[in-house]
Amino acid sequence: MAAWLLPLASFALIVFFGKHMGKAGVKAGYVATGAIGGAFVLSMISLVAWLNSADYSHVENHGHAAVTQQAGPSPISEAAEHNAELPKVISGDWYTLVQIGDGESFAPLKLTIGYYIDSLTIAMFCMVTLIATLIHFYAQGYMHDELHDFTDHEVTLADGTHLKRPGRYHRFFQYLSLFCFSMLGLVISGNLAMTFMFWELVGICSYFLIGFYIERHSASTAANKAFIVNRVGDFGMIIGLMALWGSLGTFSFGDTKDDHGHTSPGVFSQVRTEENNHRLETPTAMVAWAKSMGAEDPEECGYYLLIVAGLGIFCGCVGKSAQFPLHTWLPDAMEGPTPVSALVHSATMVAAGVFLVGRFYSVFTPEVLLTIAAAGTITLFMGATIAITATDIKRVLTYSTVSQLGYMMLALGVGGWFAGLFHLFTHAFFKSLLFMCSGSVIHAVHTNEMTEMGGLRKKMPYTACTMLIGCLAIIGAGIPFVIGFSGFHSKDAIIAQALNFGLANTNPLLSIFFYVAAGGAAITAFYMFRLWYMTFAGEPRNKERYDHAHESPKVMYVPLMILSVFAITVAWDVPGVSLNKLLEAARPAGILGEVEPGGEFALQRGQVAATIVVPDEHYPHHQHSHAIHNEANIVAFSTALAGFLLATIFYGWRKADPAEVKEQFAPIYRFLVNKWWFDELYDVVFVKPAHLISNLASWFDKNVLDWIINHLAKWTVVVAKIDDLIDRLVIDGLVNLLARCTYSIGDSLRSVQTGQLRQYVVFIVIGTVTLFVLATILLKYSMAG
Amino acid sequence: MAVGAILFVCGAVCMATKRNALGVLMGIELVLNGANINFIAFGSEYLQRGSGTSIGLDGQLIALFVIVLAAAEAAVALAIALNFYNNHQTIDVDQADDLHG
Amino acid sequence: MDAINWHSVLFLLFALLTCVFALGVVFAGNIVRMAFYLVMSLSATAGLFFLAGADFVGAMQIMIYVGGTLVLLIFGVMLTAQGPWVSMKTRGGEWILAAIVGGSMLAVLLQTAFSVEAWRAPDKQAVAEIKQLEPTATPLGLGLLGVRVDNEKAPGYLLPFEIVSVHLLVVLVGAAYLARAKRRAKPADGE
Repeated sequence: MAAWLLPLASFALIVFFGKHMGKAGVKAGYVATGAIGGAFVLSMISLVAWLNSADYSHVENHGHAAVTQQAGPSPISEAAEHNAELPKVISGDWYTLVQIGDGESFAPLKLTIGYYIDSLTIAMFCMVTLIATLIHFYAQGYMHDELHDFTDHEVTLADGTHLKRPGRYHRFFQYLSLFCFSMLGLVISGNLAMTFMFWELVGICSYFLIGFYIERHSASTAANKAFIVNRVGDFGMIIGLMALWGSLGTFSFGDTKDDHGHTSPGVFSQVRTEENNHRLETPTAMVAWAKSMGAEDPEECGYYLLIVAGLGIFCGCVGKSAQFPLHTWLPDAMEGPTPVSALVHSATMVAAGVFLVGRFYSVFTPEVLLTIAAAGTITLFMGATIAITATDIKRVLTYSTVSQLGYMMLALGVGGWFAGLFHLFTHAFFKSLLFMCSGSVIHAVHTNEMTEMGGLRKKMPYTACTMLIGCLAIIGAGIPFVIGFSGFHSKDAIIAQALNFGLANTNPLLSIFFYVAAGGAAITAFYMFRLWYMTFAGEPRNKERYDHAHESPKVMYVPLMILSVFAITVAWDVPGVSLNKLLEAARPAGILGEVEPGGEFALQRGQVAATIVVPDEHYPHHQHSHAIHNEANIVAFSTALAGFLLATIFYGWRKADPAEVKEQFAPIYRFLVNKWWFDELYDVVFVKPAHLISNLASWFDKNVLDWIINHLAKWTVVVAKIDDLIDRLVIDGLVNLLARCTYSIGDSLRSVQTGQLRQYVVFIVIGTVTLFVLATILLKYSMAG
Repeated sequence: MAVGAILFVCGAVCMATKRNALGVLMGIELVLNGANINFIAFGSEYLQRGSGTSIGLDGQLIALFVIVLAAAEAAVALAIALNFYNNHQTIDVDQADDLHG
Repeated sequence: MDAINWHSVLFLLFALLTCVFALGVVFAGNIVRMAFYLVMSLSATAGLFFLAGADFVGAMQIMIYVGGTLVLLIFGVMLTAQGPWVSMKTRGGEWILAAIVGGSMLAVLLQTAFSVEAWRAPDKQAVAEIKQLEPTATPLGLGLLGVRVDNEKAPGYLLPFEIVSVHLLVVLVGAAYLARAKRRAKPADGE
């Protein structure tokens, strides 16, 4: 857990102190790299600890046992046994954020920060931290431009000069650290709510990082696009979340034991219950919910709900992993600096979507899986075809990423849980390697366009070599049946499963997956080598740039070399520690085949579309059907070889001229170059109406509301004036009147004092007389009475 | 009957309030004399002697005192009037209105 | 006629004189004439005193009042005469006011006087036996010294005598001072 929190600490540090660290924050880079390196070390330690724990070893045994067994009841029973066990997992909650309501009528809304750790988590941690550490080193070299004041040549101000601004070195590492924190949090999260929270966090970090050069208009719009498209996917995700919580009452993946020792089942356990031998069943809770909604057939309705939940979650993955139709943001995300592309958009963030599909696999019904596969296929094909025509080196790699993500989704959709996730890991390594190499190239020649490069092999040997390794890895080069680069193994697994799927299903349309996967491999090989040839081989196209080019500094190419080593070896089956075993150990229970009477290993019939059959992944490995595996192997290799040859013809040996081909297929070419017109479509359908509505609202506000307010203000002024009048006339008048009265009374009394003696005497006499009279009267009365 | 004289003299108070300066003084003398007559009358043995209301010799004594005091007061008043005349060149009391409010 | 009551006749004569001259003082326009009428009125008053049996007081009246005070008044008149016939007439409206006030006072006093039975007429008996009146000087003087001869129980007038003496002294000093203030240069002094 400390591994997760370290990048958070680093982020916090940099946020507050970044400016003061070293000159322009060069130490910020050290802090960030140190943090992520520490996280990596901790991940390795936990990996070792995990491997040593007892439960793990039986998986190995089973793997071997399966191979050596003959046909008969034993493999069946073994398979059943294998199927029935749960993966070793540690799960629990750390901290309850909020809890609304009690458990009386409905489960309380309990938002916790929890964890769910199994082999998959550990593996992801190691991978993410390793790649992140290497990229941090790389970025320290790449971003050295930001240490001092930076003149941005892509931004022109109003008076025509280029923008000059202070460097933002520390800020970059601050965002990187935050990103690592959120990614690791996503991986370790134990419940859906936390996943969603980190999902959004990762999206925000992507926004920051893409829009790092915020003064560039292209960069800021790209960042906006990324975030908004992500958001659209999240909308579907929320629907899925709601469906799940509304019926199941809990967010957490695994079972949680609360303080009373009462185990409340998590999402996975509810969907695949132990009594049912972990088959996919509509959870009783969902059926109950459907009943309460007054459905006619609660069983079926509950099943629909499960489908909705699965589709919703997948929607989020579509957004984040750039599947069709929400793929448009990923190419534009290349506006960010290259380390960002390497880390975020090839290895980690886009992989988060695939990771979630893998994690959530047990909840997906076959119908949903079919949808996933379809989306993956379309994406795969689309990405590959656009990549053929792109000329920006980073764009090619981006479309390659899109295409490979499609591969992963395809694999997951046809039942290849292991294959898809395996490809995720290998792809992470070689794609980040490729991106970093391209970054090195861009840094050398200061341009992204491949049309201006060429013949750089002599000038940048290390980069050329490592990039070659990366290309070979991605196309799946290797010697069949023996050994190969990492991509070889993973792509092999995918194609095998696709073939398996095609064979197991009677519907011929469903075997399209296999064909597309195979064809995609060929196209992948073609465009990757096109890229390599155009960049490193042949004659330089732009003499000036060629002269300027130089090899990158050590801090940049050493990570390249380390990564290339991994790219080659990560898929190998090293005893003791191998990715194979790790992933197998994390396989969710019940998704392998169950024994059916008749010896069929295929399982998982969909209930709604009952013809869908998702076959057992281990099936090809059994001796029974080794044929499938062999066939897949050969197909994969030959397609890759074909693509490689084609690329070499065009670009290596220059036998054929790509320009002619371009003219011949001009309409198709235009279609491809314009990215299948997706951006324009979205612009018309979504962006323009939004602008219209906002203009309307703004007009309303300006003319109607402001009119009201202005008139209110005028009236207030009038009232104020009246008040003033009243105050002055009435109130002051009263006071003045009082004063005047007093004065006049005093004045009139004053006139008594005439100063005339005689009048005084008269008054005396009058007074005397009066007193006399009064006394007389009184006396008379008193005497009389 | 003697009382009738008293009354009359007091009526002369009116005069005292009307004239100017020395006329005022004369009015005062008249007033005092009227009072004197009254006193004497009360002190006379011809006024119902033996009814207990006679004041005998006291009346005469009082009258004597009144005369003395009247003389004194007349002297002072005269001095004031002469002073007034010296300062204002007139003895019209109507013009002695410095105390006019 | 057997004895005309000379007492009453004389009384009436002197009373009439007094009243007439007093009225004259009121209505005279000239200061000098006012003064002369006052003299006559006060003399008649003295006669009334004699008739009432207060011979000493009457003598005193003539001596002090007529001889002293009035002479003083006349001096004042002469010193402050401003012109041959400067007349300070009071206005008509003031006459009316004075008449009202004075008339009301007169009415009140007359009513009071005549309402007391004891004052109506002189004691017939006493008038009848006019005995030889003793001269009152001695008893008055003795009375002033605190010894009363006629009425044993009446108090002496020694204290008032002393006070009046001091009073007279003060008056003399004050008058002298006031008179002297005339010789100073400042006119606003001594008002």
